[in-house]
Amino acid sequence: MTMNQTRKTLNEIGNTEIDRILAAEEALVPSSGFLASVMERVREEASAPAPIPFPWKRALPGMVVVAGLLGAGAFELVRHAMPAASELTLIAPQISLAAVRSLEQAGWVAFALGASLFSWMLSKRLAGRSGLL
Amino acid sequence: MTSAPQTASQRAASEDLADVERVLNGDLGAFEGIVRRWQGPLVNMAWRYCRDRGRAEELAQEAFVRAWRGLGHWRREGSFSTWLFAVAANVFRSDLKRFPTVDVRLEDAPEPAGPATQYNAVEERSRHEVLRRAVLALPARYREPVTLFYFHEMDVSAAARTMGLREGTLKARLSRARALLRSRFPHLEDEHAAMDVKELSTGKGA
Repeated sequence: MTMNQTRKTLNEIGNTEIDRILAAEEALVPSSGFLASVMERVREEASAPAPIPFPWKRALPGMVVVAGLLGAGAFELVRHAMPAASELTLIAPQISLAAVRSLEQAGWVAFALGASLFSWMLSKRLAGRSGLL
Repeated sequence: MTSAPQTASQRAASEDLADVERVLNGDLGAFEGIVRRWQGPLVNMAWRYCRDRGRAEELAQEAFVRAWRGLGHWRREGSFSTWLFAVAANVFRSDLKRFPTVDVRLEDAPEPAGPATQYNAVEERSRHEVLRRAVLALPARYREPVTLFYFHEMDVSAAARTMGLREGTLKARLSRARALLRSRFPHLEDEHAAMDVKELSTGKGA
Protein backbone atom coordinates (compact mmCIF):
# COMPACT_ATOMS: atom_id res chain seq x y z
CA MET A 1 0.00 0.00 0.00
CA THR A 2 1.50 3.32 -1.04
CA MET A 3 1.57 6.47 1.04
CA ASN A 4 -0.92 8.11 -1.30
CA GLN A 5 -3.40 5.28 -0.90
CA THR A 6 -3.34 5.45 2.87
CA ARG A 7 -3.27 9.22 3.01
CA LYS A 8 -6.67 10.51 3.98
CA THR A 9 -7.95 13.70 2.49
CA LEU A 10 -9.95 16.32 4.27
CA ASN A 11 -13.20 15.13 2.74
CA GLU A 12 -12.68 11.46 3.59
CA ILE A 13 -12.21 12.20 7.26
CA GLY A 14 -14.95 14.78 7.48
CA ASN A 15 -14.82 18.30 6.16
CA THR A 16 -15.81 20.08 9.32
CA GLU A 17 -15.00 23.50 10.60
CA ILE A 18 -12.92 21.91 13.34
CA ASP A 19 -10.74 20.24 10.71
CA ARG A 20 -10.34 23.51 8.84
CA ILE A 21 -9.24 25.41 11.92
CA LEU A 22 -6.93 22.78 13.35
CA ALA A 23 -5.32 22.06 10.00
CA ALA A 24 -4.58 25.72 9.32
CA GLU A 25 -1.89 26.28 11.90
CA GLU A 26 0.78 28.87 11.21
CA ALA A 27 4.25 27.35 11.14
CA LEU A 28 6.75 28.46 13.77
CA VAL A 29 10.31 29.21 12.78
CA PRO A 30 12.86 28.01 15.34
CA SER A 31 14.84 30.81 16.97
CA SER A 32 18.22 31.64 15.46
CA GLY A 33 20.17 30.10 18.34
CA PHE A 34 18.24 26.84 18.40
CA LEU A 35 20.60 24.83 16.23
CA ALA A 36 23.63 26.04 18.18
CA SER A 37 22.03 25.24 21.53
CA VAL A 38 21.11 21.72 20.43
CA MET A 39 24.63 21.07 19.18
CA GLU A 40 26.07 22.46 22.41
CA ARG A 41 23.92 20.05 24.42
CA VAL A 42 24.94 17.16 22.19
CA ARG A 43 28.64 18.05 22.53
CA GLU A 44 28.26 18.28 26.31
CA GLU A 45 26.65 14.86 26.34
CA ALA A 46 29.36 13.45 24.09
CA SER A 47 32.18 14.81 26.27
CA ALA A 48 30.58 13.65 29.52
CA PRO A 49 32.08 10.46 30.95
CA ALA A 50 30.18 7.32 30.13
CA PRO A 51 27.81 6.17 32.89
CA ILE A 52 29.29 3.57 35.22
CA PRO A 53 27.84 0.22 34.26
CA PHE A 54 26.24 -1.93 36.92
CA PRO A 55 28.93 -4.28 38.33
CA TRP A 56 27.22 -7.51 37.33
CA LYS A 57 30.36 -9.61 37.82
CA ARG A 58 30.75 -8.49 41.42
CA ALA A 59 27.07 -8.55 42.24
CA LEU A 60 26.31 -11.90 40.65
CA PRO A 61 27.74 -14.15 43.44
CA GLY A 62 25.81 -12.17 46.05
CA MET A 63 22.66 -12.40 44.00
CA VAL A 64 23.10 -16.15 43.57
CA VAL A 65 23.57 -16.56 47.34
CA VAL A 66 20.47 -14.49 48.10
CA ALA A 67 18.44 -16.41 45.54
CA GLY A 68 19.68 -19.71 47.03
CA LEU A 69 18.75 -18.60 50.55
CA LEU A 70 15.32 -17.53 49.40
CA GLY A 71 14.85 -20.81 47.59
CA ALA A 72 15.96 -22.82 50.62
CA GLY A 73 13.70 -20.73 52.86
CA ALA A 74 10.74 -21.34 50.58
CA PHE A 75 11.51 -25.06 50.45
CA GLU A 76 11.71 -25.26 54.27
CA LEU A 77 8.52 -23.30 54.55
CA VAL A 78 6.65 -25.67 52.28
CA ARG A 79 8.21 -28.71 53.99
CA HIS A 80 7.03 -27.55 57.42
CA ALA A 81 3.73 -26.08 56.39
CA MET A 82 2.46 -29.06 54.37
CA PRO A 83 2.24 -31.60 57.24
CA ALA A 84 0.78 -28.95 59.50
CA ALA A 85 -1.81 -28.05 56.91
CA SER A 86 -2.78 -31.71 56.44
CA GLU A 87 -3.49 -31.97 60.18
CA LEU A 88 -6.09 -29.25 59.94
CA THR A 89 -9.69 -30.38 59.76
CA LEU A 90 -12.82 -28.53 58.85
CA ILE A 91 -14.59 -29.60 62.02
CA ALA A 92 -12.05 -28.50 64.52
CA PRO A 93 -9.49 -26.21 62.99
CA GLN A 94 -6.37 -26.35 65.11
CA ILE A 95 -3.22 -24.66 64.09
CA SER A 96 -0.14 -26.28 65.48
CA LEU A 97 2.71 -24.20 66.90
CA ALA A 98 4.98 -25.30 64.07
CA ALA A 99 2.47 -24.13 61.51
CA VAL A 100 2.08 -20.79 63.25
CA ARG A 101 5.84 -20.31 63.25
CA SER A 102 6.03 -21.29 59.61
CA LEU A 103 3.29 -18.89 58.69
CA GLU A 104 4.98 -16.15 60.67
CA GLN A 105 8.22 -16.80 58.82
CA ALA A 106 6.32 -16.87 55.55
CA GLY A 107 4.84 -13.50 56.41
CA TRP A 108 8.29 -12.03 56.96
CA VAL A 109 9.56 -13.53 53.71
CA ALA A 110 6.57 -12.10 51.86
CA PHE A 111 7.14 -8.73 53.50
CA ALA A 112 10.83 -8.76 52.54
CA LEU A 113 9.98 -9.69 48.97
CA GLY A 114 7.35 -6.95 48.81
CA ALA A 115 9.78 -4.38 50.21
CA SER A 116 12.43 -5.42 47.68
CA LEU A 117 9.93 -5.17 44.85
CA PHE A 118 8.73 -1.76 46.02
CA SER A 119 12.31 -0.52 46.35
CA TRP A 120 13.16 -1.76 42.84
CA MET A 121 10.07 -0.16 41.33
CA LEU A 122 10.69 3.12 43.13
CA SER A 123 14.33 3.31 42.02
CA LYS A 124 13.31 2.49 38.45
CA ARG A 125 10.69 5.21 38.48
CA LEU A 126 13.08 7.77 39.91
CA ALA A 127 15.76 6.83 37.40
CA GLY A 128 13.18 7.13 34.59
CA ARG A 129 12.14 10.57 35.77
CA SER A 130 15.71 11.80 35.91
CA GLY A 131 16.25 10.60 32.35
CA LEU A 132 18.84 7.99 33.27
CA LEU A 133 16.83 5.23 31.61
CA MET B 1 19.66 7.34 -19.91
CA THR B 2 19.41 9.41 -16.78
CA SER B 3 17.77 8.35 -13.53
CA ALA B 4 14.64 10.17 -12.39
CA PRO B 5 15.38 13.20 -10.24
CA GLN B 6 15.03 12.59 -6.51
CA THR B 7 12.14 14.20 -4.73
CA ALA B 8 12.85 16.47 -1.78
CA SER B 9 11.79 13.80 0.69
CA GLN B 10 13.96 11.13 -0.96
CA ARG B 11 16.91 13.51 -0.93
CA ALA B 12 16.30 14.31 2.75
CA ALA B 13 16.05 10.59 3.53
CA SER B 14 19.36 9.81 1.87
CA GLU B 15 21.00 12.78 3.57
CA ASP B 16 19.63 11.59 6.92
CA LEU B 17 21.03 8.13 6.34
CA ALA B 18 24.45 9.49 5.38
CA ASP B 19 24.52 11.80 8.40
CA VAL B 20 23.49 9.01 10.76
CA GLU B 21 26.31 6.82 9.41
CA ARG B 22 28.80 9.63 9.93
CA VAL B 23 27.58 10.29 13.48
CA LEU B 24 27.79 6.60 14.32
CA ASN B 25 31.33 6.60 12.97
CA GLY B 26 32.27 9.35 15.41
CA ASP B 27 31.67 12.52 13.39
CA LEU B 28 29.59 14.52 15.84
CA GLY B 29 29.35 17.51 13.49
CA ALA B 30 27.24 15.47 11.08
CA PHE B 31 24.40 15.61 13.58
CA GLU B 32 24.11 19.31 12.75
CA GLY B 33 22.73 18.40 9.34
CA ILE B 34 20.01 16.33 10.97
CA VAL B 35 19.10 19.14 13.36
CA ARG B 36 19.11 21.67 10.53
CA ARG B 37 16.70 19.58 8.46
CA TRP B 38 14.32 18.62 11.26
CA GLN B 39 14.41 21.57 13.67
CA GLY B 40 11.37 23.21 12.05
CA PRO B 41 9.12 20.14 12.11
CA LEU B 42 10.13 19.17 15.64
CA VAL B 43 9.63 22.66 17.09
CA ASN B 44 6.24 22.86 15.39
CA MET B 45 5.27 19.42 16.62
CA ALA B 46 6.26 20.39 20.18
CA TRP B 47 4.31 23.63 19.81
CA ARG B 48 1.18 21.66 18.98
CA TYR B 49 1.70 19.61 22.13
CA CYS B 50 2.16 22.55 24.51
CA ARG B 51 1.34 25.84 22.68
CA ASP B 52 4.22 27.56 24.46
CA ARG B 53 7.04 28.71 22.23
CA GLY B 54 9.80 28.61 24.83
CA ARG B 55 8.78 25.21 26.07
CA ALA B 56 8.38 23.92 22.52
CA GLU B 57 12.03 24.70 21.80
CA GLU B 58 13.13 23.08 25.05
CA LEU B 59 11.14 19.97 24.25
CA ALA B 60 12.45 19.84 20.69
CA GLN B 61 16.00 20.19 22.00
CA GLU B 62 15.45 17.34 24.42
CA ALA B 63 14.03 15.25 21.58
CA PHE B 64 17.16 15.84 19.48
CA VAL B 65 19.41 14.89 22.39
CA ARG B 66 17.42 11.69 22.98
CA ALA B 67 17.59 10.94 19.26
CA TRP B 68 21.35 11.43 19.29
CA ARG B 69 21.69 9.09 22.26
CA GLY B 70 19.53 6.48 20.59
CA LEU B 71 20.83 6.70 17.02
CA GLY B 72 22.36 3.25 17.32
CA HIS B 73 18.91 1.83 18.08
CA TRP B 74 17.36 3.05 14.83
CA ARG B 75 16.75 -0.21 12.98
CA ARG B 76 16.30 1.40 9.54
CA GLU B 77 13.07 -0.49 8.93
CA GLY B 78 11.27 2.78 8.34
CA SER B 79 12.44 6.24 7.44
CA PHE B 80 14.63 8.21 9.80
CA SER B 81 11.94 10.89 10.11
CA THR B 82 9.36 8.33 11.26
CA TRP B 83 11.74 7.15 13.97
CA LEU B 84 12.65 10.72 14.94
CA PHE B 85 8.99 11.74 15.26
CA ALA B 86 8.28 8.67 17.40
CA VAL B 87 11.21 9.52 19.70
CA ALA B 88 10.02 13.13 19.89
CA ALA B 89 6.44 12.07 20.64
CA ASN B 90 7.70 9.92 23.53
CA VAL B 91 9.71 12.83 24.92
CA PHE B 92 6.81 15.28 24.61
CA ARG B 93 4.30 12.83 26.05
CA SER B 94 6.35 11.99 29.13
CA ASP B 95 7.30 15.61 29.76
CA LEU B 96 3.72 16.82 29.47
CA LYS B 97 2.58 14.04 31.76
CA ARG B 98 4.89 15.42 34.45
CA PHE B 99 4.16 19.10 33.77
CA PRO B 100 0.77 19.46 32.07
CA THR B 101 0.23 22.59 30.02
CA VAL B 102 -3.33 23.25 31.10
CA ASP B 103 -5.36 22.12 34.03
CA VAL B 104 -8.63 23.24 32.46
CA ARG B 105 -11.21 20.56 31.69
CA LEU B 106 -12.83 20.55 28.26
CA GLU B 107 -16.19 21.50 29.82
CA ASP B 108 -14.59 24.60 31.30
CA ALA B 109 -12.96 25.78 28.08
CA PRO B 110 -14.46 29.11 27.00
CA GLU B 111 -16.89 28.88 24.13
CA PRO B 112 -17.32 31.46 21.37
CA ALA B 113 -20.34 33.69 22.00
CA GLY B 114 -22.22 32.68 18.86
CA PRO B 115 -22.23 32.79 15.06
CA ALA B 116 -20.32 35.80 13.75
CA THR B 117 -22.53 38.45 12.18
CA GLN B 118 -19.70 39.93 10.20
CA TYR B 119 -16.24 38.82 9.29
CA ASN B 120 -13.64 39.97 11.76
CA ALA B 121 -10.16 38.58 11.28
CA VAL B 122 -8.92 39.30 14.79
CA GLU B 123 -12.03 37.86 16.40
CA GLU B 124 -11.91 34.79 14.19
CA ARG B 125 -8.27 34.25 15.00
CA SER B 126 -9.04 34.48 18.69
CA ARG B 127 -11.88 31.94 18.35
CA HIS B 128 -9.59 29.60 16.46
CA GLU B 129 -7.01 29.87 19.21
CA VAL B 130 -9.66 28.97 21.77
CA LEU B 131 -10.41 25.79 19.83
CA ARG B 132 -6.71 24.92 19.47
CA ARG B 133 -6.22 25.35 23.19
CA ALA B 134 -9.31 23.25 23.85
CA VAL B 135 -7.49 20.36 22.15
CA LEU B 136 -5.04 20.47 25.05
CA ALA B 137 -7.95 20.03 27.45
CA LEU B 138 -9.03 16.77 25.80
CA PRO B 139 -8.38 13.54 27.70
CA ALA B 140 -4.80 12.37 27.00
CA ARG B 141 -5.83 9.34 24.90
CA TYR B 142 -7.68 11.63 22.45
CA ARG B 143 -5.43 14.68 22.61
CA GLU B 144 -2.34 13.14 21.06
CA PRO B 145 -4.06 11.57 18.04
CA VAL B 146 -5.62 14.96 17.25
CA THR B 147 -2.30 16.76 17.69
CA LEU B 148 -0.39 14.35 15.48
CA PHE B 149 -3.11 13.99 12.85
CA TYR B 150 -3.14 17.71 12.12
CA PHE B 151 0.64 18.00 12.50
CA HIS B 152 1.03 15.34 9.81
CA GLU B 153 -1.34 17.28 7.56
CA MET B 154 -4.21 14.88 8.20
CA ASP B 155 -2.21 11.80 7.24
CA VAL B 156 -3.70 9.02 9.37
CA SER B 157 -0.96 6.50 8.65
CA ALA B 158 1.85 8.94 9.53
CA ALA B 159 0.13 9.89 12.79
CA ALA B 160 -0.45 6.20 13.61
CA ARG B 161 3.22 5.37 12.93
CA THR B 162 4.40 8.21 15.16
CA MET B 163 2.23 6.98 18.00
CA GLY B 164 2.91 3.30 17.37
CA LEU B 165 -0.83 2.63 17.01
CA ARG B 166 -2.87 0.85 14.37
CA GLU B 167 -4.64 3.12 11.91
CA GLY B 168 -8.04 1.85 13.02
CA THR B 169 -7.32 2.69 16.65
CA LEU B 170 -6.12 6.14 15.72
CA LYS B 171 -9.18 6.79 13.57
CA ALA B 172 -11.49 5.70 16.39
CA ARG B 173 -9.78 8.00 18.88
CA LEU B 174 -9.78 10.83 16.37
CA SER B 175 -13.47 10.42 15.74
CA ARG B 176 -14.22 10.45 19.47
CA ALA B 177 -12.01 13.51 19.98
CA ARG B 178 -13.79 15.44 17.26
CA ALA B 179 -17.15 14.46 18.69
CA LEU B 180 -16.04 15.85 22.05
CA LEU B 181 -14.88 19.08 20.44
CA ARG B 182 -18.07 19.39 18.40
CA SER B 183 -20.18 18.92 21.50
CA ARG B 184 -18.17 21.59 23.27
CA PHE B 185 -18.23 24.02 20.35
CA PRO B 186 -21.58 23.51 18.58
CA HIS B 187 -21.52 27.06 17.24
CA LEU B 188 -18.57 26.27 14.99
CA GLU B 189 -20.75 24.19 12.69
CA ASP B 190 -23.51 26.85 12.70
CA GLU B 191 -20.97 29.55 12.05
CA HIS B 192 -19.47 27.69 9.12
CA ALA B 193 -22.91 27.26 7.60
CA ALA B 194 -23.72 30.95 8.19
CA MET B 195 -20.48 31.99 6.48
CA ASP B 196 -21.25 29.76 3.50
CA VAL B 197 -24.71 31.35 3.12
CA LYS B 198 -23.23 34.82 3.38
CA GLU B 199 -20.57 34.05 0.77
CA LEU B 200 -23.23 32.70 -1.60
CA SER B 201 -25.50 35.71 -1.13
CA THR B 202 -22.65 38.16 -1.79
CA GLY B 203 -21.38 36.09 -4.71
CA LYS B 204 -18.00 35.36 -3.08
CA GLY B 205 -18.55 31.68 -3.12
CA ALA B 206 -19.20 31.52 -6.86
